[in-house]
Amino acid sequence: MPIVQTAADTACEAVRKEKASIRTPMADMVRKFRKQRNSVVALAFIIILVMIAFFGDFLIPYQINEYDYSATLEGPSGAHWFGTDEFGRDLFSRIISGTKISLAVGLSAVTVGALCGTILGLLGGYYRGFIDAIIMRVADTLFAFPGIILAIAIVAILGSGLSNVVIAVAVFSTPTFARLVRGKTLSLRTSVFVQAAKNLGASDARIIFRHILPGAVPDIIVQYTMSIGSSILTASSLSFLGMGAQPPTPEWGLMLANGRNYILTAPHIMLFPGLAILFTVLSFNIFGDGLRDALDPKLTD
Amino acid sequence: MLKYIRRRILGTLPTLLLVVTFVFFFVRLIPGDPARLVAGEQATQADVEVIRVKLGLDKPLGTQYIEYLVGLIKGDLGTSLRTKRPVTTEIAGRIGNTLKLAFITLAWSTVVGVIMGVWSGRHRGKWQDYLGMTISVSGISIPSFWLGFLLIMLFSVKLKWLPTTGASSWKSFILPSVTLGVAIAAIIARFTRSSIVETLKEDYVRTARAKGLKENIVIWRHAFRNSLISVVTVVGLRFGFLLGGSVVAEAVFAFPGLGTLLVESVNYRDYPAIQSLILIFSLQFLVINLVVDILYAALNPEIKLG
Repeated sequence: MPIVQTAADTACEAVRKEKASIRTPMADMVRKFRKQRNSVVALAFIIILVMIAFFGDFLIPYQINEYDYSATLEGPSGAHWFGTDEFGRDLFSRIISGTKISLAVGLSAVTVGALCGTILGLLGGYYRGFIDAIIMRVADTLFAFPGIILAIAIVAILGSGLSNVVIAVAVFSTPTFARLVRGKTLSLRTSVFVQAAKNLGASDARIIFRHILPGAVPDIIVQYTMSIGSSILTASSLSFLGMGAQPPTPEWGLMLANGRNYILTAPHIMLFPGLAILFTVLSFNIFGDGLRDALDPKLTD
Repeated sequence: MLKYIRRRILGTLPTLLLVVTFVFFFVRLIPGDPARLVAGEQATQADVEVIRVKLGLDKPLGTQYIEYLVGLIKGDLGTSLRTKRPVTTEIAGRIGNTLKLAFITLAWSTVVGVIMGVWSGRHRGKWQDYLGMTISVSGISIPSFWLGFLLIMLFSVKLKWLPTTGASSWKSFILPSVTLGVAIAAIIARFTRSSIVETLKEDYVRTARAKGLKENIVIWRHAFRNSLISVVTVVGLRFGFLLGGSVVAEAVFAFPGLGTLLVESVNYRDYPAIQSLILIFSLQFLVINLVVDILYAALNPEIKLG
């Protein structure tokens, strides 16, 4: 009897062990991601940034456009952690308040670009032929404009302003997503499970959104995360060039551009907005790297 | 090879025509009346109309487009609304500086990027890799305009070694080039690293090691030579990034190049200049891509040239 008992116990134990070690793709990804410590730190920093974006305005010690002509161009001190600008405005408060601008601009531009690019890529890759030729020709043409030049061209037409910067950066990131998703769609549309769905009479829409799109999602997520950092950088560059946010918006690139007049007397005006951009972009890029490694099926440990 | 080159050049022409068309119609969307802009606020409506005829803006869009294409073939890019001089003159005075800056930057950042990438790749997972990749992820994250100001503060204001503006001597190219090149070097380093890591898994690398070759020879003569092809591709693709980045770097240093000209033209809504500059920028990019394609074919014996 005891022997049977033990055998049953062992069986139970085995089942329990198996349950504990079931490796769903999601669990696998989380496990791989958590092994990359700096990516976890970057994610934590991004979460803090998002919190600042939502609640920062309630925490800042001064109003962002509160002038104080008795304290202009002051260096960092107990009263003004990051110092003040030429109007005596508190730079710490302005940088905290600028967080939501940079995050909103970066996220909305990439989201629009990713949505448009994904839809175009799915259509082109799935239907091939004429639609595909047109979409890819337009993408090629957009790719022929180097880097930020296309964004500048769009702002030149729409006029300067933050919302136009969002449109410009969205247009600028659309072809990247279109190409990525198209490539993935081309390889998935001939796969067995898509053929099977087709033979079962699934509609095109169902095949595209239920069978092909999920296969492209990991690539889209990685590209999306990587694009956020560069979009924030592009948007702040446009503001720096005077084509984006207009004064007195506390946009980091604009604050930096403003600080160049005081490079000799008050270098801190440029220092802190630059650090804010650097750390924000850096955290998105490191997070993106970690995500890419975690989602890459070729990298096994 | 010549046949291949000719075919590649012909293959670029349709894209070029699309770009020209795109730029032409795109810039026509700029709000505001360019004729009014030239005439000035105080001008009478009649004066504005005279200028409109002079600029050819009274003709239908199709005619304007044909005239624009004919002008392009003749090398006529129109007249700048801001300076009243031919756009070609404006561009000719500045393109040399921008190209010089671009090529100097491309040269040093490729060398630095490749060395850093190989160094990280051969020490994969060790502290060297960690250090190299931390530097390069910071390099792609740093706002170049901010980096430019930090360099000005250090080298121009504090040490007084280098000038802050202009393009008068070789010294004026150093700071803009560093500002522009850090991100490029970082991208090339990241790419080279992953390429080296892949190549080092190959059988011929194991063979080379097994026959007792020095690690340096294995890395540079066997692994790196085979990663070179993909490195060339990424360098070519990043040239566009470099051209775009030069707009920002030039703005920081008031560098007399095409980038500052573009920013001035956008601020003035000088559309003949804007459209020509955008065209010139993408033309440079297309030419470089063409050169890269040809280089790629020359480096990679697997590509059939027929």
